[in-house]
Amino acid sequence: MADTRTPVIELAGIGKTYVSGDVQTPVLFDVGFRIYPGEFVAIVGGSGSGKTTLLNIMGLLDRPSTGKVMVEGREVSNLDEQGRAEVRRDRLGFIFQFHYLLPEFTVIENALMPCRMKGPKYEAAEEPRMRALLDLVGLGEKLRNRPSQLSGGQQQRVAVVRSLANNPALVLADEPTGNLDSRSGRIVFDLMKSLSRESGIAFVMVTHDDDFALEADRVIRIRDGRIESPGTPRPAPAEAT
Amino acid sequence: MKLSYFTLSVALRHLRYGVGQSLLTIGVVAISVLLIVYLRTTIGGSQVRIVQNVAGAIPHIIVEPAERTPIGAWNLPGNAPDTLFVGEASSLPRAQDKIEDWKQWVEAFGKDPQFTVVSPVVAGNVFLFRGARRQAVRMAAVVPEIHDAIVDIEVDLLEGNFKRLPPGEVAIGFKLARKFGIRLRDKLRLVGPGDRTLTVTVGGIYSTGAGALDDDQLFLNLRDGQSLLELGSAISLIGLRIDDLFQAEAVATALRSRVPFKVRSWITDNPSVFFTIDSQNQTINLVLISTIIAAGFGIASVLILSVTTKFREIGILKAMGATPPEIQTIFVIEGFLLAVVGCLVGIPAGIALLKALASIRVPGPDGRIRELFLIEIDPGLLAFAAGVAITVGVIAAFFPARRAAKIDPMSVIRGS
Repeated sequence: MADTRTPVIELAGIGKTYVSGDVQTPVLFDVGFRIYPGEFVAIVGGSGSGKTTLLNIMGLLDRPSTGKVMVEGREVSNLDEQGRAEVRRDRLGFIFQFHYLLPEFTVIENALMPCRMKGPKYEAAEEPRMRALLDLVGLGEKLRNRPSQLSGGQQQRVAVVRSLANNPALVLADEPTGNLDSRSGRIVFDLMKSLSRESGIAFVMVTHDDDFALEADRVIRIRDGRIESPGTPRPAPAEAT
Repeated sequence: MKLSYFTLSVALRHLRYGVGQSLLTIGVVAISVLLIVYLRTTIGGSQVRIVQNVAGAIPHIIVEPAERTPIGAWNLPGNAPDTLFVGEASSLPRAQDKIEDWKQWVEAFGKDPQFTVVSPVVAGNVFLFRGARRQAVRMAAVVPEIHDAIVDIEVDLLEGNFKRLPPGEVAIGFKLARKFGIRLRDKLRLVGPGDRTLTVTVGGIYSTGAGALDDDQLFLNLRDGQSLLELGSAISLIGLRIDDLFQAEAVATALRSRVPFKVRSWITDNPSVFFTIDSQNQTINLVLISTIIAAGFGIASVLILSVTTKFREIGILKAMGATPPEIQTIFVIEGFLLAVVGCLVGIPAGIALLKALASIRVPGPDGRIRELFLIEIDPGLLAFAAGVAITVGVIAAFFPARRAAKIDPMSVIRGS
């Protein structure tokens, strides 16, 4: 039976070829899938399989050579740089392997940075929610600390909370635990998963770690630039029983 | 460019966080601004002093009778009644060396806002007799209250009056007084070219520091001069002052086509002084341009370093949705603020330095205590220095800012 929900992101016929001088390097071939609200999806694949390129195309950081990207039913692959930045600002959240918090700002200011881009009123309105989230991830006592005063795991937790600041439809995480020890990695992974469950925000995580991948709702396997297995979308809540 | 709460707050935080670097850059800008204000003011002051000393306290522009009597072109044979000009007539009779209708001209020049002082003058050489001794001196008969705005002698008085010098009295330089052993209230005898004699009382003795004024010049009232030179109610010339003495030749040139007189400026009378000052100005401008460019490089280098060290943060901001114009604005604001704060430090420091210099008083060769520097703080110069520094700051910031705006977030994510 066809899924009638609007996917938060849909990729159709995505191909990507990098061109350097006369050399053409194809990286992705006819990639297509849909991610639905609240799904926690892991993209797995070997090194050079194209998973990071795929994530960049999903995050509107890179343009596909062929195919279309739709965010909440709207085609975004043909937008100019300004338009893509606006979609990222309004509808997408990002977590990277390296947290890259801004060292000049405190923990709460870093978490609120996507809101700050939208203006002081939006930032003020979202501050209580972000304080609560930081409290939830165990950083309630460190709101006024600088990133340099936190451990790597704590900094990545701030980055996870930051990815939710703009109430995104989709959070894209590129190896979010790759730079953490196993205990911190586990804390960050569980945090993402529980936030996904509670908020209904879709998470797409690129990972090398099979243990984490197995705990995802759905695993998309990619090999040599092609989708090997698109996984099965989690059923809509009404169909879940 | 996109000025917003986000761009302003990030720029301010960058500057506050890198306070050491910010202070160094502010210091460079402040020193540049201070140098502009200091050099332009002190050198400008000394240039005015040089002009005063070399050329004497003279009008910037002198309007005097033409060497040839102008004749209406319409009076020449063969010309229509409305002909204004046909060329130069060289065989006309010598003009009289005086201006008869000077009151109308003084009134007309007085209405022209570019002339700050309009002074009627009777000028000529007379003999000064004191007992058996005599000396040819230059005489300027003036309306002292008006002419003081040109020669500025009232402030240089050692004794007596200048601005309120009554008829029958003269003001003379201290060197001339010393040479003849003259004291205030002494009587002198002046003899004009037509042997006309006038006995006057010394009503003022001054020391200007300008050799020509102190040594062989005397001032008296206009009517006394007219009598001594037998000019009746006429005068010899009209002296004009303008705001910017270095514009004198341009103003004189424009005036020549408007009046039936010979018009000359202090610049044509003293070309070597003008060229010396002009070359001095070129040198100073070169120094100032170099200084301000160095300040620009200072700002640019700090921001280039900032863009390089914040490469990852900029990439993440762009990934999160910051647009290239916003990233560019952050760094342009930083350059702008560094320049503005540099001005806020440099201009008061410059003013304080100039005020300190203006208060330095030293004894001159004549024993009088004078200011070492001729300082006149020009608000226009302060605004100019600030404008130049801020413009250079923004231009210097523009290139690192553009580089920041071009950072590809993907290269950050890949960790390259």
